[in-house]
Amino acid sequence: MSTRALRGRGARAARAAGAARRRVWARFPAAPAVRRLALAAPARLAALALLLLPARAAAQDFASPAPPAAVTPAVFLERGLPERSASPAVEALVTRWYEVPDLATRAVALAAGWRSVRAAAGISRTGEPELGWTTGALALGVAGRGAGGALRAAARRDGAPGALEAALGPGAGLEAGGGVWVEAGAGITLSASAPQIFTRGISPPLERGLEIGASWVMDDLSLRLTRVSARGGAGAAQHEAGLALSAGPLTVWLEARDLPARGALGLAARVGALTVAGAVESHPVLGETVRLSLVLARPHAGP
Amino acid sequence: MLPAGLLTLSLALRAPGAASVTPGSLPITCSRMDRTIVAEVFYDATGDDTGREFVELFNPAEAPCSLAGLRLEAGDGAGPGRWTLRWTGTSADSIDGSGHFVIGGALVEPPPGATVALDLQNGPDAVRLVWPDGVIEVVGYGALVHAEYFCGEPAVDAPSGQSLARVPDRSNQGANALDFRAWPPSPGRENLSKRDAELIPGSLALDPEQPEPEQGARLSGRIANRGAAALGTGEITVLGVVASEPDAPPLFSHPIPVAIAAGESASFAAETGPLAAGKHTLRVRLSVAGDAAAANDLDSLRVRVGAGPLEVTEIQFHPGAGEGEWVEVRSRDPAPLDPAGFTLSDRGGARGVPAAGSGALAPESLAVFAQDRAALLARFAGIDPARVWEVKPWAALNNSNDSTGVADAVVLRESDGTPCERMSYSASGVPAGVPIEWRAGAWAPSRAALGTPLAPPLTLAPIATRFQMTPRRVRAGAGSARLMWSLPWERARVSIEVYDLAGRRVRRALPETPSAGRGECEWSVEGLSPGLYLATLLARAETGNQALRETAAFRVEGASP
Repeated sequence: MSTRALRGRGARAARAAGAARRRVWARFPAAPAVRRLALAAPARLAALALLLLPARAAAQDFASPAPPAAVTPAVFLERGLPERSASPAVEALVTRWYEVPDLATRAVALAAGWRSVRAAAGISRTGEPELGWTTGALALGVAGRGAGGALRAAARRDGAPGALEAALGPGAGLEAGGGVWVEAGAGITLSASAPQIFTRGISPPLERGLEIGASWVMDDLSLRLTRVSARGGAGAAQHEAGLALSAGPLTVWLEARDLPARGALGLAARVGALTVAGAVESHPVLGETVRLSLVLARPHAGP
Repeated sequence: MLPAGLLTLSLALRAPGAASVTPGSLPITCSRMDRTIVAEVFYDATGDDTGREFVELFNPAEAPCSLAGLRLEAGDGAGPGRWTLRWTGTSADSIDGSGHFVIGGALVEPPPGATVALDLQNGPDAVRLVWPDGVIEVVGYGALVHAEYFCGEPAVDAPSGQSLARVPDRSNQGANALDFRAWPPSPGRENLSKRDAELIPGSLALDPEQPEPEQGARLSGRIANRGAAALGTGEITVLGVVASEPDAPPLFSHPIPVAIAAGESASFAAETGPLAAGKHTLRVRLSVAGDAAAANDLDSLRVRVGAGPLEVTEIQFHPGAGEGEWVEVRSRDPAPLDPAGFTLSDRGGARGVPAAGSGALAPESLAVFAQDRAALLARFAGIDPARVWEVKPWAALNNSNDSTGVADAVVLRESDGTPCERMSYSASGVPAGVPIEWRAGAWAPSRAALGTPLAPPLTLAPIATRFQMTPRRVRAGAGSARLMWSLPWERARVSIEVYDLAGRRVRRALPETPSAGRGECEWSVEGLSPGLYLATLLARAETGNQALRETAAFRVEGASP
């Protein structure tokens, strides 16, 4: 068999696989890598762009229940990794932490883009007044076909009346950092995020170190591996693995994390521009953390 | 064996069974079997030596021997020529063939042939017999350097309570080290009889040390065969009686089921049967046919059955505020009780005696035994000084557990040695500086940071939830918080772990610890970086399979510049 004949067979096989992928991802935000590999319809770009890139290890103010390789406005704010899509999106989310009464986070995040510029803003509230805090966050960056990067900042204010005096006022704190991602080819994307490069005033509720991730998307399957260093290098790094499978408008995913070993199960469903997602993580000692989100994203009408 | 004899060489010489001579000194000899010899020297009685020292002479010949003119001298091995006279035989002093003659203090039993305060020194020293004809026999013991103080080689330095005895009585091997050994005192008797079983003094023990009333206990001890012949299986019987009930049948009669060779020893254990509550003396006796020495067949043990008159209620084994270690006790006795009549020790056994308190302790009253009374009173200014007793010597209580999970024991005894209370404790889960106290039927860390000497345990107010932390916002660095729990069980085992918001365990605030249903502990957040944390109480009922988990969130406050 000649090389040309092989190429011809390969091209036909790729077209057939692309048709199958279009059927699967058409009704759910999918990874850009998948879109590039399988989809020609630019109308689905925005939906596909919601997948891939960062993981959700150690989130605190905008803990979105997105599949392992997906990105949402909340994820953009939390990690400084810009969305590939410039389409506007809004996300509302609720997190109930470890079954602890009065420890819940409610947040709203917006994201939009123009050409290669990406921006996001959000506000969240965690906990009751004695322990809780309010956060406002901004992220600004750029994203192209093969890479993206952004800076993010979050300002917090404690709700307690007798909060600690600090440089930015009683109970006030600021953190800033950023993230980058780059496509490595063959459906693989690498990312790095350092969300707390700079802190001032009241210390954040959770110290977050450098997060390094790699994701791989193939057809209906996506895989994500993440390593989160302890901030300042003190302590052991945490590792996370996630596997998502999509079928029509539904995506189901499993995640596993160490320190201590635990797992999460998530489910997302898309109806038109609306995506509802939920995930439950079971901690061996602390119990379950439940995350719910509602994402409204206008499909991108690109070429 | 070489014949003994007098040598008058001008050079130092050592020969078996014979003598060595130091130039310019008296000739020195070892034993001569044709005349009376030294058979036993008892120079270091347990406790005060006064009146208890003796030197036993033995006549190995068949004919009687006069001791007239015989001199007994004591030598100070610290320097040459330091001999002093202790006794001189008179014409009335004689010794039968194969007989013994004891020169000793007034307290020697049986009474000695010559009563003399010998005032012998502990080794390295010597005694010698100087006969009127110039023949000398020396017995030296300890690490002697001057040759005039020993024959051949010095004997061992006998430990306190033991004699230096010639074993067997006619041994004559040419060196003190070969003829003499440490041996139980046997004044006026053969050192090595044909049949002699000994109940080794101090070897008796009861397990448990303080049995419950009407419960049995296991009495153990050791028996030695001090005779020349083996004692066969079943030939020795151990008999036990309660001293206050001499006419009652023996508590036990226990034949020793093994043979004991000459010079060997064996242990025994016998069940006592039910014992009545109170304080008793158990008398234990060996029964052996043909035993040559009845005196070493007896021993006794003071025992307490049931609770003693004092109980331990609080122990400070790791003081952190300079107050010294202390132990709080409570009187169980219905009559006033004098704490000075007790001793306190740790697991090691050094018994301290209370002093400096005053007066008797009323029923149910508390007293404190302190390592440093002044420091304790300085730290707890409001307590009654009359009920604080300083114990000397104080046995330092251990702060960390051994491999068995026990840190140490607080042991109370009456001054005559009768057990009163033994409390073994674990240091696991006890915060630094916090005493442990007897509360609601169990030992637990005190609810007061420094404890409550001379006061009952603090009563905890009820809390609204199963688990809470106060305050919920703590400053990073040196802040601390109180962890409080209220469980649906009377007793439980609890542990508290701390996690960050990412679910990583960052600290164990309380290792698994036995606790009452309502409990508290103080916890320092030192070393914890600022952030939001989750303290999780894990509890399981002490009986049954019930368990629960409760989580409380808290903030450690800190700021970046």
